[in-house]
Parts: sequence; structure tokens; C-alpha cells
Amino acid sequence: MSTESENLESLVNRRYEHGFVTDIEADSLPPGLNEDVVRAISARKNEPPFMLEWRLQAYRQWLEMKEPTWAHVHYPKIDYNEISYFSAPKSDEDRPKSLDEVDPKLLETYDKLGIPLHERARLAGVAVDAVFDSVSVATTFKEKLSEAGVIFCSFSEAVQDHPDLVQKYLGTVVPRRDNFFAALNAAVFSDGSFVYIPKGVRCPMELSTYFRINAANTGQFERTLIIAEEGSHVSYLEGCTAPMRDENQLHAAVVELVAMKDAEIKYSTVQNWYPGDENGVGGIYNFVTKRGDCRGANSKISWTQVETGSAITWKYPSCLLRGDNSVGEFYSVAVANNMQQADTGTKMIHIGRNTSSTIVSKGISAGRAENAYRGLVKVMPQAHGARNHTQCDSLLIGKECGAHTFPYMEIKNPSARIEHEATTSKISADQLFYCRQRGIAEEDAVNMIVNGFCKEVFKELPMEFAVEAQALLSVSLEGAVG
Amino acid sequence: MLEIKDLKSRIGDTEILRGLSLSVNAGEVHAIMGPNGSGKSTLAQVIAGHESHEVTGGTVTFDGQNLLELEPEERAREGIFLGFQYPVEIPGVNNAYLLKAAVNAKRKHNGLGEVDAFEFLKLAREKMATLDMDPKFLNRGVNEGFSGGEKKRNEILQMAMLEPRLAILDETDSGLDIDALKAVAKGVNALRSPERAIILVTHYQRLLDYVQPDYVHVLSQGEIVRSGDKSLALELEEKGYDWVREAASA
Amino acid sequence: MKHAALSIDDLRDVVRRLPDNGLTPSREAALAHFHEHGLPTLRDEDWKYTDLSPVVNISNRWLTAGGPQLPHKSLRDTVDAITRSIDAHWLVIANGTVDDQFVNAITHRGIEVSRFSDAPAPFEMQRPLADLNAALLHDGLRLRITGSTDKPVGILVVDRAKSDAGVAQSCVDIQVEPGVSAEFIEYHVSDGDAEHYANSVLSMVVGERASVRHVRIQNRAIRHVQTSRTSVALGKDARLHMASYDLGGALIRNDLDIDLGKPGADVVFDGLYLAGDGQHIDNHTRVDHRVGPATSTQEYRGILNGNCRCVWNGKAIVHRGADGTDANQANHNLLLSEKAEIDAKPELEIYADDVKCSHGTTVGQLDETALFYLRSRGLDKRHATQVLTHAFAADIVLRSPVTAMTETITAIVEKRLAQLIEADFVSDVLS
Repeated sequence: MSTESENLESLVNRRYEHGFVTDIEADSLPPGLNEDVVRAISARKNEPPFMLEWRLQAYRQWLEMKEPTWAHVHYPKIDYNEISYFSAPKSDEDRPKSLDEVDPKLLETYDKLGIPLHERARLAGVAVDAVFDSVSVATTFKEKLSEAGVIFCSFSEAVQDHPDLVQKYLGTVVPRRDNFFAALNAAVFSDGSFVYIPKGVRCPMELSTYFRINAANTGQFERTLIIAEEGSHVSYLEGCTAPMRDENQLHAAVVELVAMKDAEIKYSTVQNWYPGDENGVGGIYNFVTKRGDCRGANSKISWTQVETGSAITWKYPSCLLRGDNSVGEFYSVAVANNMQQADTGTKMIHIGRNTSSTIVSKGISAGRAENAYRGLVKVMPQAHGARNHTQCDSLLIGKECGAHTFPYMEIKNPSARIEHEATTSKISADQLFYCRQRGIAEEDAVNMIVNGFCKEVFKELPMEFAVEAQALLSVSLEGAVG
Repeated sequence: MLEIKDLKSRIGDTEILRGLSLSVNAGEVHAIMGPNGSGKSTLAQVIAGHESHEVTGGTVTFDGQNLLELEPEERAREGIFLGFQYPVEIPGVNNAYLLKAAVNAKRKHNGLGEVDAFEFLKLAREKMATLDMDPKFLNRGVNEGFSGGEKKRNEILQMAMLEPRLAILDETDSGLDIDALKAVAKGVNALRSPERAIILVTHYQRLLDYVQPDYVHVLSQGEIVRSGDKSLALELEEKGYDWVREAASA
Repeated sequence: MKHAALSIDDLRDVVRRLPDNGLTPSREAALAHFHEHGLPTLRDEDWKYTDLSPVVNISNRWLTAGGPQLPHKSLRDTVDAITRSIDAHWLVIANGTVDDQFVNAITHRGIEVSRFSDAPAPFEMQRPLADLNAALLHDGLRLRITGSTDKPVGILVVDRAKSDAGVAQSCVDIQVEPGVSAEFIEYHVSDGDAEHYANSVLSMVVGERASVRHVRIQNRAIRHVQTSRTSVALGKDARLHMASYDLGGALIRNDLDIDLGKPGADVVFDGLYLAGDGQHIDNHTRVDHRVGPATSTQEYRGILNGNCRCVWNGKAIVHRGADGTDANQANHNLLLSEKAEIDAKPELEIYADDVKCSHGTTVGQLDETALFYLRSRGLDKRHATQVLTHAFAADIVLRSPVTAMTETITAIVEKRLAQLIEADFVSDVLS
């Protein structure tokens, strides 16, 4: 082995920094899934009858569905009866009204993660709805938002306070039985975020949620619903990081976005769930359904994601371009190192007239990881004037990883203009030597090259997220170059 | 400054340098000439520390320091600059960013503070003006989509910014039109100083019309077979490399 | 989603009634394997866009009728027209029968021809359609090219379906010996008003340092159905330049598999498909880069007009350790009708790091600026459209690897394009 590859390996072997467990007693249901569990979840959350009914229908549909096997990922069979479907910090009954009331241990956890809630919120002007385990424990800037008429709260609160809105939009983008994991989520989802931007309102700040998984053996089933009424605008940031532990944990979230006429939703994610160790022990199974519905004319939904974590990622943030002139975007950086597996991409379904979509996917594979882009661009017969541009690049670091692209293009209208480009390359020894000859250390050179590779995606992220994403990328790839 | 003694190297099983010795003092300009495959580029890369070459014998010291022990970036920070024959494209990495990172890496090594963005840009623009380079180059990806001439000018720009003590230019003249050649020569001449040494690796004597060397060495089969002053280059031009080979084997 | 199955009892009867020329054991083995696996359905990822129901329907009707063997002598006029106009060493499979007259006529030293029945080989497990081929095969052609030839070797597969549904198989094995340079013409043509299903298999081994240029033309009658599997394995430093032209047929499915198991191989393959009303043309290509260095480059282009659907699925797999692989795929489509559909799927599966792989796919229309430019120079809309459509196809035609065929290909591509442009699409697209 050359010195160069040894160096790369040492880079890759840097430890996961966010691995620790906060010792808080969780109020959990015993493992197992049946109708009683679904009823218990709904009862604990004091949900109105329509929610229970919705959950039960989802559960019954889920029972008849099969776990999908088409993705380019492999994992041992999940026993859904070994998962506990509800856990919340003990203080659930008496939730803090302000940061002062928040359990200091929790705040400390966020500090360790580099998410100093109050500071970050104040400095960055961001309202943070922090989900610890499954229940929201702190929400800030609520007042400022409510002045603008924006509703930003936990899903549970929304069910209590805005049941009409929830009932109107829930499941209209990702139907209960959309897929196996979405159905499971619909039956047992614990909490999540709810955002409603009224007509003509430009959300005065970027909305942000940090998710964490804690409590052993606890599946996480968040559900997020964002509704942007006519002419409104919102930018939503989602970031995750999880503590280190050995059991695999299932995360099956659902995100639904609805953009009405002239509305715009920008949804950014930095995902850093625990990826497991170098040998593939532990790590999160991240099976997520994210979909945006450009319901009105001239609406726009933009997904940006930086996926560095999880043992397995199965995720295709998609856009239904129903409104005329609507725009869908997908910008993605997916890093898979060690034994990670990622099968991620997007679907752009062109339905309205003169719709356009852009896909930029940057996949980085290192170690023994498998990284696949899977995407669908579909132009329906009535979608006159559809445009798509797809750029799909893979960067390989090391000889034992895999990089795959599975793009599907189904074009049923002759006025469509579809362009798809893909490339695969590696960090060349020549590039590294060139940088080093200019005095730049190897590790920095690797970061520089990888960041250059991802540039088109990073520039779509909100500033503070972009910085975090770059840092995350270098941590994720430490030791990877060889 | 640079002292090479009996240097031997190989790539895989192929021996390239076979006992090469060379001494370069501050203030001197040396031209290394030779036919294709004689080991010219290898010599440049071995001095810079390219890992594909295995050094199997001999010593290389730089101001008394054993160069062969140093990582490529350490050699660079000590003041050795290699102008690449084929400058590498690094998509997405901003030219200015690389240059600034390189300048600061060296300054840090020398115990100096980092230059700020304003200072850096001012300096870079000045240097670019002397090389007839469009300032827009700074915002493009490193060598990305550059023409051959643009890449070579970019190398000279980097050299000018990094102010090396020893600059090795590996066939920087190849593939250049006359204007680009003159610009490159201007950049090299601007760098000539009593504290600095320059090694020009070249196949043709054309560059030497514009940059006058103090010494000319002819490399053949991994050894210096002949050394002289600049008239040697002219002689070579006239008689061709066969003449050296014959002379060497005779 | 499952289409009706092939009637296996009838199939067994027909297979058993085939004359015993030594192929009976391999037919029986193929039948058993086929029975076990059945035909693929839309649920199979590789058949997601192509429904084999027409194959099943035609075959079942033919099987019910007892699998009548169509006479091959009646095709003499078509055979003559082609073999006399194109200068090549011709071999002919007519209505599924190897024409002995052509086999016997080959005298060139560098070409060894035999029939499968001359030296029957044991059955090797294959894909379902190839199994079906082996089960129903009357006889196949085995070719060994041992020295360079003065002109191309032509393989003409010709069918005429006059009565009700017809089914014909063709199977060709080619071995090109090390260092030999060879040219092949593979020509599939048919006529007749009845429905017809042709199923062809061609496998080729290109020896070390050998160089093959291969052109494949499919110009079947508009109601005919064809499935074909072409497998090529390349030896060390071998070269293959291939081009495939699909012009006719109601349902066409081509599977091209290229296996690069030795270093130094270089493969270039092009394809052109022209589809009009009622046509469904599906090209699946797969390149397995097992070792490096090796290069594969493919470019398929399609022009679609009328109620038709085309599928292009290009897959490049770079196996572990295949460093030094350079694999490129390109697929460009012109959609000229509201009723046309293209499904494109360029796939890369990469398990090595020192590789250069790329693919590019486009779907679009004629360049409006170019169209306007031509019209401003006095060409009418239709003519301008024709010029640009031809230009789109021309790259693939002009790169045709076998020069002896370039003229013929140009002529039939032009004829087919003219038919396509004559259709009423122009007003749709340009209005």
C-alpha cells in the first residue's frame, strides 16, 4: 500500500464525533406493533377521532404491504415487533415554556452537538423547534412568527390547535399507503413539525429543526407537513445527528410539502445520523419519504440535501409539478464511507404545462460503501413544454466502494427537452500531488477537491448550513482517500 | 543550494535515473535538456517528491537538509516550486482559493501571518497584469477548461505568488505560441535574483533565447552526459540529440 | 401484470415433432429450462417497458396450428435481391431453415462454416428467449474465421409470413480467431401480411488481437415481431466496432451483451432506431468491464414519430478490479409526435475506482433556430425538417463500420425517414 493510501485511511478512520448517549429516562411503550399500540399512541397524544381513524387505516394497509427490495441496499430483516413505537422525554406532561425550563442536560447535549440552541437561534435569527426523541421540547421565536401569521409548531400541537388544517392536508402529498415505510409512519408517527405560511407572507426567518434519536430500540417516525399558501415563501432547514450505539435503529420519516400558486418552499437537509462503525456495526436505517406538491401555477419547491450519515439511506425527495410553470429542484450531496449504503435520488413528475426541473446529484463513495443515485424524470402526455436538466456525478475514493446511477426517463410529450449527464471519476493522485506541491497538506487537499466537487450543491444551502455541511463532509471522509 | 549526488530512481521495475549528480547554487539558472525518455521530468518530480518514483540510491539535499525525507507539501513550503508539464484540472476548486491556501500554507510555515483576502487579491492582480492574464482567471476552477497556454501561464502566476527559492519548470515552454512563450519567459526573468535558483527542463532551446541559462546539462538515459554553458544548447539544436548519445556511448 | 403464458403442452408437441438431426437432446434441455422459468413480464426490471404479449399470442396461435414450418424456397427473390446487390460471403437462414446451398458455396480459406447438426453441442443454460430459441431451433450456423477475408461475411435472416401466424428461429455462433480482422453484415428482413415472430440469437467470440466490424440491420415488415440476443466476448487487445439499425417491426426487442474479460479490449457500438405508428423498439445493452484497461463507447440515437414507443436501456458494469476502464454511453432522441414515448435508462454500476465513466441522454425536438435558418434560406418546413432529421441520423449512418454496407444503409434509412416525415406530425410539432 502506498503512503498516500495509508494517509487516506487514517483520514477516514476519524471517529464519529456525535456519539454519546444522554441519560434521560424515556417514557416508552414496550416493543411491538398492533392496533392497540396505534390506539395507545393516539391516546397519549390526546388526538381527535379523525387522527386515530387515519392511523388505524394506515396500519391495516401496512399489514398488507411488502417491504420493498428493489433498492441497491442490503440489511438484515427488520423485526417490526422488536421496535418500540413511542418514546418521549419524561417531562412530556409538563413541557417547558421557555429555554429556562428546558432540562439543562438536554441543552448540554445540544451544546455537545455544536447546536447551542439559544445562541444559534439568536445569532442566526433562526427559530429552532428541537425534537429530542420524538417530542418537541423547545420552540423559539414563536411570537415573531405568529405576528406574521406563520404557524410553526410540533405536529402534535398542530393536531390540537389546528385540526382543520391537518385534516385538510395530511396525506394529500404522500398518501397513507404510498409505500411500506410511509404506511408504517402514518400508523405510528410520534411527532414532527408543522408549518403553515398564510397567503402572501414571506416567512420572516429560516425555520429549522434538529432531530435526534435517543433511547435504545426506539424507532423514529417523524412527520412533517409544510403548507405554503398562495404567494408565500418559506425556507426550512432540517438537520440531524444521533448518538453512537450498537443496535440498528429504524428511521422512517415522512415529509409533505404543499406549494400553492406562486408559492415557494425551500427545504434543506443536513443528515448526519450515526452511520455505524468501520465494520458496519450499528447505524441508522434511514428510510424516508419526502415529496413536494407544486399544486399551484408558478410554484416552486427546492430540495437540497447533504447526506453524510446513516448506515442505510433510502430517500427520494420528489416533486409533483402539477401547476403550470411550476419548478422543481433537487440538489444533493450523498457521502457513503466505510460500510454505509445509500440509495437516493429524486423523482420529478411533470404534469402541468411549461414545468421545469433541475437535478444535481453528487455522490461520494469511500471505504467499502455503496452509493447509488436513483432518479425518475417523467413527462406526462399533457405536460407541454417540460424541461429537465440532470447532472449526476460520482466521485470514488478507494478500490472497494461502489458508485451506481439508475436514472429513469419516461417521456410522453414531444415538446419535452430532457438532458441527462453523468460522470464518474476519482480523486486522482495527480490532483493530490499538484496541491501538495503547492504546499497544501494532503488532508486539506482532499477536502478541497471534494468540496470543489460538491460546490454546485453547497451554494444552494443557506449560509450557516453550508459551513456546517462542509465541515461535516470533511469529518465524514476523514481517512477515506487512497 | 541544491545538491544531488548519484541519484537513482525507478518506477515499478524500470530504472529511470541511474546515478545523476547536479549542484545548483543560489542565483543560477540551469537548463536541463535531453531527448524524450531521458529522465528530465523524472528528475523534476523526484525533487518535488512525487510518490510514483522510488528513490533507490543517492542523496538530494536542499540547503543541507535531506530533501528525500520530506513530504511533497513540506518541500513546497521550504521553497521548492515545480511548474508542471501537464497542470492538473481540479473542477470546482476556485483558482484563487487554491492560490491563497498555498500562499498561506507557506507563510504559516515561515512563521508569518496569513494574508487577508484584500491583500491577496491586490497582489494576485498585479502579478496577473505582468503576465497578461485576465483577472477573471482567478474565479475559474483550477486549470478547468484552460487552454494549454493558459495552464502554463497559470503555473507561472502561482510561481510568482509563491516566490520559491528553487523553481523547477518542467517543459513549461512546450505547446506555447510565441506570445505565451514570451509571457512565460517574462515571468521567469522577473523572478531571477541572487537568492533564487531556477531549473528549466526543456526539450528545445527555444525558451533559452528568452531566458539565458548559466549552465546547460544534457541528460541521456538517466545521467547527465554533458554540461556546459549556453552554447551547448545551440550546439544541440544544430546537431541533434543523436550527437550526444553517440558522444556518450563513445 | 402477467401476460398469458405460452402454451407449454403445445410447445412440447411442436418441439418433439421437429426432425431429429442430433439437436433433440439440447432442444429437450432448453425446453425444460424454459418451462421452469417462463417468459419475463413487466415486473422484471429489464422488461419494465416491454410487454411480450404479442410474442405469446403469435406463438400460441402458431403452436395451436401445430407449428407449421414455412417453406424457405419461396423467399428466393428477396434473397437474390440482397445477396446479389451487396458483395459479401452470404449465408442465409430463411424461415428458420439454414440454406445449404449458401453454406456449400463458401470456399474462402479464411471461413469455416458448419451447421450445429454437424457436431451437436450440449445445451447451456440461457435467458428465457434464448431457451425458446434453442428449443425450437431447426439448425444453427457455426462460423469460424481463421484468416482475413477479402469481403464481409453476410448473414441474412429472412422470413415471409403468408398464412396465419408464423414463428422462426435463427441461431449463429461465430468464432474469430486471434489476430484476424473480420467484417460481418447481419441482415434481418421479412415480408408478408400475416403476423410473424422471429427470435434470433447470435454469439460471437473475438480472439486475442482480433478486430471485428459488424453491422446489423433490422428492416422487418411492420406487423412483425422480433426478439434477439447478441452476445459478444472479447479477448485480450481485441477490437469491436458495431452498429445496429432498427427500421421496421411492430415489436422489436434487442439485447446486446458485451463481455470484456481480458485487458486491452476496445469496443465501439452505435445504434439508430426509427419508429413510426404502431412500433415499439426496445434496445437493451449491457457491457461488463471485468478487467482493465478497456474502453467501451456507445451511442444510440432515435427518431420517433406517430403512435410509437422506444426504449433504450444502456448498462455499464465495472467490476471490482477493472481499473483503467473507460466507459461512455450516449443516447439522443428526437420526439416528433404527441403520441410518441421514449423511456431511457442509462445505468452505471461501478465497483472500481480508477475508472472514467460517463453517460449523456437527451430528449428533444429539432433545433428551432436551425429550422428557421433553413427556412430563411428558402426551404419549406417539410424540407427543412427532413434535412435536420437526416442530419440527426447521419452521424450514426456515416460511422457505419462496414463500408460495403454504407450505401445500402444510407438508402434504407433515407427511405424510412422520408416515410416518417410524410406522416402528419409536422403540423403537430411546428404549429
